[in-house]
Amino acid sequence: MKVLGIETSCDETAASVVDDSLHVYSSVVESSIDQHRAFGGVVPELAGRAHVTTIGPVVRRALEDAGLDPHRPAIDAIAVTSGPGLIGSLLVGLSAAKAYSLAWGVPFVGVNHLEGHLFAPLLERPDLAWPMVTLLVSGGHSLLVLQKGPDDHRVLGETIDDAAGEAYDKVARWLGLGYPGGPEIDRLAREGSPGALKLPVSMIGDDLDLSFSGLKTAVVRATEKQRDVALADVAASFQEAVAEQLLRKLRAALVAHDVRGVALAGGVAANSRLREGVSALANEFGIEAHLPTMAMCTDNAAMIAAAGIFRIKRSGPSSLDLSARPNWQLVDVS
Amino acid sequence: MNVLAIETATGACAVGLANAQRQEIRVLDLGRRHTEVLAAGISELLHEMGLRPRDLERVVVDVGPGLFTGLRVGVATAIGLGEGLGCPLVAVTSLELLAHGAALAGLHAIVVAAVDGRRGEVFVQTFRVGDEGVSAVGPAQVTTARNVVIEWATNGAPVVFTGDGVERYLSDFAAVPNGQVFDQPVPSVAAALALGERREPSERVVPLYLREADAVANFTTREREP
Ligand SMILES: [Zn+2]
Repeated sequence: MKVLGIETSCDETAASVVDDSLHVYSSVVESSIDQHRAFGGVVPELAGRAHVTTIGPVVRRALEDAGLDPHRPAIDAIAVTSGPGLIGSLLVGLSAAKAYSLAWGVPFVGVNHLEGHLFAPLLERPDLAWPMVTLLVSGGHSLLVLQKGPDDHRVLGETIDDAAGEAYDKVARWLGLGYPGGPEIDRLAREGSPGALKLPVSMIGDDLDLSFSGLKTAVVRATEKQRDVALADVAASFQEAVAEQLLRKLRAALVAHDVRGVALAGGVAANSRLREGVSALANEFGIEAHLPTMAMCTDNAAMIAAAGIFRIKRSGPSSLDLSARPNWQLVDVS
Repeated sequence: MNVLAIETATGACAVGLANAQRQEIRVLDLGRRHTEVLAAGISELLHEMGLRPRDLERVVVDVGPGLFTGLRVGVATAIGLGEGLGCPLVAVTSLELLAHGAALAGLHAIVVAAVDGRRGEVFVQTFRVGDEGVSAVGPAQVTTARNVVIEWATNGAPVVFTGDGVERYLSDFAAVPNGQVFDQPVPSVAAALALGERREPSERVVPLYLREADAVANFTTREREP
């Protein structure tokens, strides 16, 4: 079974061909991020406009890279992100997917973007050891998930306010650094001292929920008190505070659940401090660490295709009247 | 030639299918449910006409101006069909479809087509509609309904107003003494089918927004607040 995946939930237009042994034949990602930089965040209307111009060429390239005829591709189904995400972006991919489905006479299935992220580690490591705990952190989401198998997941905890990546962007903007904030802060932090600023680590409670909205205010207050702190030290201290919260909750999840592996997923999984921390935790618990490559951490359509393969085998295809669900939570995926 | 027309430039969603033997037009929805109804509507219409998607030889799509999300659904669907089938795409504008719709109804007049642009504005263009066909008098532009009304009331020449932009500000348009209103809430799908057959296909089809992403301006102001 060969599936074409399509992803347009945020600023990336992506398409990919994957088969049910999870071999990735092609994966094309076009980002409109350059158009958003000046605004310090993704501008929904600009993202929606960009998807319309890139969707056709991106799908065509993904098919051609996989050695398929773009007008009569030998695929068995189409998987498309139908939520969560920006509504004006989601409906471009969803509309195009329905049209390709009609054109080729193959079924299509709507996939939850977050469930897609959970498949990213599996695409690079088909021999994954289950069960495992996955920390899914991106610009839009932060959750801890218990995975008993590829399509058996349970949300253990999630952010009650901002996503971790959002905190990075806010702090980067306040420090006058570029957008997105993650890579820039990560780079600076390596030259700074994480103990330079005293920042509170929020959500020390027993549950596995996360919170990042207070962190930007804390950074602002702390730097107002200590005006002579170097930028690199601010970056390192902030990064340490984020990592400490995430790793503390991850440790609690590993204590509570007997698992054989721990995985990172989502754009923030590219963060060096977090990767070190997860490796160290895996060592400590004597379990495997799955740290996907950068291309699999960020939004892509291979993960959507993979999730779609499982979804269509379990619940069958979607019907042509499927709506986009901009606020579709992972806990509501069944 | 089997031609499919896609109309999503306003709150309405409509499709049409025509060939030498037959023409069918369906208004699928009037309440902005383009994402949900369009693909299913195309599939049903093909089935009714006894055609397979592969039989389509042209897809004509209204690229606007109009409702941004509607346009993206319509254009993305056209692109998916065009790319997927290797079938040529033809772009038509909502304003010319309104003018052609007036022509199909037998009007001979200066026609001002207006599509609701939200936030107090309309997308508007003037056409000459007569025996020699439909020709645009000026470019499409964004302005307020009030400006259009004042311009024509001052001008004094006989004029016909049409489009959902006119329905939206009906009392203003109806008050122009030299004006008449031609009721046409959905840009003409029949006109789209006819234009789709005779117009040269486009290499690339993109929505005609006629307005900068004003989300840009809003976003910048919002983010600067403390
Ligand atoms: Zn994502």
